[in-house]
Amino acid sequence: MITGSPPATPAAPAFALAVEERIATAHGWLRDRRQAAWDAFSTMPMPSSQRDEDWRRTDIAKLQLSGFQPSDGIDEPLVNAIRQRRDQGAADAALLLDAAPVTRIEQSDELTAAGVVLSSLDEAARLHPELVERALSAVGVAESPFVALWNAMWSGGAFIYVPRSVHAAVPVWVAHSAAGHRGAAFPATVVLLEDNSSLTLVDDYLSAAGLNEMFSDALTIVVAGRDARLDHCVLQQWGEGVWHVALHRTVLAQNARLRMFGATLGSRLQKAYWEVMLDGPGAEANISGVVFGDGAQHLDHQSLQAHRAPQTTSRLKLKVAVRDHARSVYSGLIDVERIAQQTDAYVQNRNLLLSHGATADSVPRLEIRANDVRCGHGATAGHIDDDHRFYLMARGVTAEDADRLIVHGFLDDALADCPHPGVAALIGELLEKELEGNAQAGIAVVDA
Amino acid sequence: MTVQAHELSKDYEYGFHDVDISVFRTEKGLSPEVVAAISDHKSEPAWMLKFRLKAYEHYVKRPMPTWGADLSGIDFDDIYYYVKPAGEQSRSWDDVPESIKNTFDRLGIPEAERKFLAGVSAQYDSEVVYHNIREDLEKLGVIFCDCDTGLRDHPEIFRKYFGTVIPPNDNKFAALNSAVWSGGSFVYVPAGVKVEVPLQAYFRINSDNMGQFERTLIIAEEGSSVHYIEGCTAPNYSSDSLHSAVVELIAHKGAKIRYTTIQNWSDNVYNLVTKRAIAHENATVEWVDGNLGSKVTMKYPAIYLMGEGAHGEVLSAAFAGPGQHQDAGAKCIHVAAHTTSNIVSRSISKGTGRTSYRGHIKVYPKAHDVRINVRCDALLLDEESQSDTYPYMDVNSPDVTVGHEASVSKVGEDQIFYLTSRGIDEQEATALIVNGFFEPFVKELPMEYAVELNRLLALSMEGSVG
Repeated sequence: MITGSPPATPAAPAFALAVEERIATAHGWLRDRRQAAWDAFSTMPMPSSQRDEDWRRTDIAKLQLSGFQPSDGIDEPLVNAIRQRRDQGAADAALLLDAAPVTRIEQSDELTAAGVVLSSLDEAARLHPELVERALSAVGVAESPFVALWNAMWSGGAFIYVPRSVHAAVPVWVAHSAAGHRGAAFPATVVLLEDNSSLTLVDDYLSAAGLNEMFSDALTIVVAGRDARLDHCVLQQWGEGVWHVALHRTVLAQNARLRMFGATLGSRLQKAYWEVMLDGPGAEANISGVVFGDGAQHLDHQSLQAHRAPQTTSRLKLKVAVRDHARSVYSGLIDVERIAQQTDAYVQNRNLLLSHGATADSVPRLEIRANDVRCGHGATAGHIDDDHRFYLMARGVTAEDADRLIVHGFLDDALADCPHPGVAALIGELLEKELEGNAQAGIAVVDA
Repeated sequence: MTVQAHELSKDYEYGFHDVDISVFRTEKGLSPEVVAAISDHKSEPAWMLKFRLKAYEHYVKRPMPTWGADLSGIDFDDIYYYVKPAGEQSRSWDDVPESIKNTFDRLGIPEAERKFLAGVSAQYDSEVVYHNIREDLEKLGVIFCDCDTGLRDHPEIFRKYFGTVIPPNDNKFAALNSAVWSGGSFVYVPAGVKVEVPLQAYFRINSDNMGQFERTLIIAEEGSSVHYIEGCTAPNYSSDSLHSAVVELIAHKGAKIRYTTIQNWSDNVYNLVTKRAIAHENATVEWVDGNLGSKVTMKYPAIYLMGEGAHGEVLSAAFAGPGQHQDAGAKCIHVAAHTTSNIVSRSISKGTGRTSYRGHIKVYPKAHDVRINVRCDALLLDEESQSDTYPYMDVNSPDVTVGHEASVSKVGEDQIFYLTSRGIDEQEATALIVNGFFEPFVKELPMEYAVELNRLLALSMEGSVG
């Protein structure tokens, strides 16, 4: 038996100050929520690879929160680089730049004219408290230490509301960024889709390339009404000093549909939860992603497909390539409740190991309590097939080029699922740079 | 081979028990004194007493595992850790006490004996009471006896290997077994000897609240081969029993060991077993593991592929009826290069039954040219049943091919329709499909076991409509 409970996380003094101020300026339910979250966080131990199954393969013992302070905005060259990136991926997209304490909003007229609400989460909590509360109720106050800390600490943030039967004509690009050594960011994307509405959303996490140690504790919450449609792209390209912990949760009502695509390229260590709650009959989720790790990166993805209503469908495909001493951890759960008859769910995780020293763990789990279901998973790990390499080399392709082509082919299979062609092209280009081996984590910023 | 389901009675066929005739039993509960009493009663050498006491310390220190099945129903203080039945070890069938004979009669053992069984080692409570080795095996130098005899008569070989595959501090239940073990089989096959007939042993629990902690150790020397079969059928008791065995296999260079189990403990037994094998260069180890009985089973036969060219196979079948939880699986740990393993798991849940597949695949950095294949399929027979899959895969070497596939589904309506449209009633159709689902497992069993398994399955399927 473990005697006594492990010590609670040493409270970061800078966080305590910030929370105090945020509680003081908040009202009503939000004030209570922040206070409850902070109280809970103060008593919760940090996840441990010795104690917590979720964290067994991802060791964050070296993450010392007490050394961080809330990031204080980003400078203009980085803002320009982010604009350029949006232009490259989806030039028509509205831009929400979530770099606390301020959230900038650009190019949003077309959507706001159609009734879509785009604002900082701060402002939304003031102007539309009932909408924000509705969305936030999809995540517990203190589901984990990181969720508790986020609930206490977030500021700025992005809020998107799409009214009933409104189809957002252009994408919304939410860029989350931070700067400064020992800066901490609490990226927030909160989305409410009313019945029969639709939206294309890009969550883009990025910082300047470099060794700055930063901490990102991110949350994306999407609550989608009946027949709503969401196309969601998640790009993660933090710099190589960044610890990134994220929860992406989408709740789908009857016949709502999610297409999600994630590209994980950056950070020193990531633990990202990709969760979809299929709460209404006929709900459907297609989740796909590519992961490229090199150097000493540690990239952890944990998925949940929670089938909580009949006739629900979910698919997840994660393709992982790891090089050098990078480590990928994938774990996932298909959870089918007793009521969720006629569930159709599948998980596919394919890992390509490109070097000695690179590792890939895969734990695709199933918990099935309904009987009339079709559920399964497939997981593979392997290296570049010598036959494939030989085939290309026999046609005059050098060994290096052959390998690059093969890895490309391997990842492109998932990239084809990316719901937005412009974003897919952008990710393709970023992957190309990774494969060439001269990509640094984070994005290049040119001083203007 | 299918048995008509309606011909079989609904009663648990083996749910009988005889009047308790044990002559020595320790007091209920566990303490260093009880551990010492067991060792003393068996007149064991000092090193074994030391081993047991150290294991007891580990057992006390270790927390109860909470990651798997619910074990909160076990009352460790309400268990007899050692019970010795009346009568000394017998070499001939005539010497076996009449009441015990009756028990074996109902299990069909004398019949099996009349066939060409190599040796019968039936564990009645904690002590082996009946043991027979065919003379030709003895001539080949094969040792097949219970573990207590192994310790007494073959101390050098025994001590060299005992506890080397599963150390006493491996896990809580291995520690418990190491502290109080009794009986089980000791098999030693000399180099180059191929044992043609399977070695069989029946294990039985008879005393109420009797923990059964048998210990099996099998050593196959270079180039030898052996097939060991263990079947379990337990009388049905009203209060819970605990069965916690440790099985260690060592397959030396080029050797082959197959270990077949069909577990059919009555549905109040907690069956918490540690099974592990070491496969050296070019050796093959196969676990054929069937789980039908018990209230809770936690058992994950493991193979450590330590030598180049080693091969491992785990073939697992589980059936969980109402109230049962079969938490079974397999582990293949690839330490050496050019090693291969193959895992096939089939499980069926019925009523409130729950089957879990829990597997672990690990490839060490230096293990290149490794191929692994895992296939798990589960059938759910009704709305109350549950199935889980927890496969863990850690790949630390680039030169590997790992494949894992799993599926969970119900009995196909089109399959049922196909059969019923040919005049087979729905119940029988379901039983047929279930038999077919277990076919990869059943076909690996010797004939009499296959028959028994199909009979038990048909019995379990009674009253279920897919």
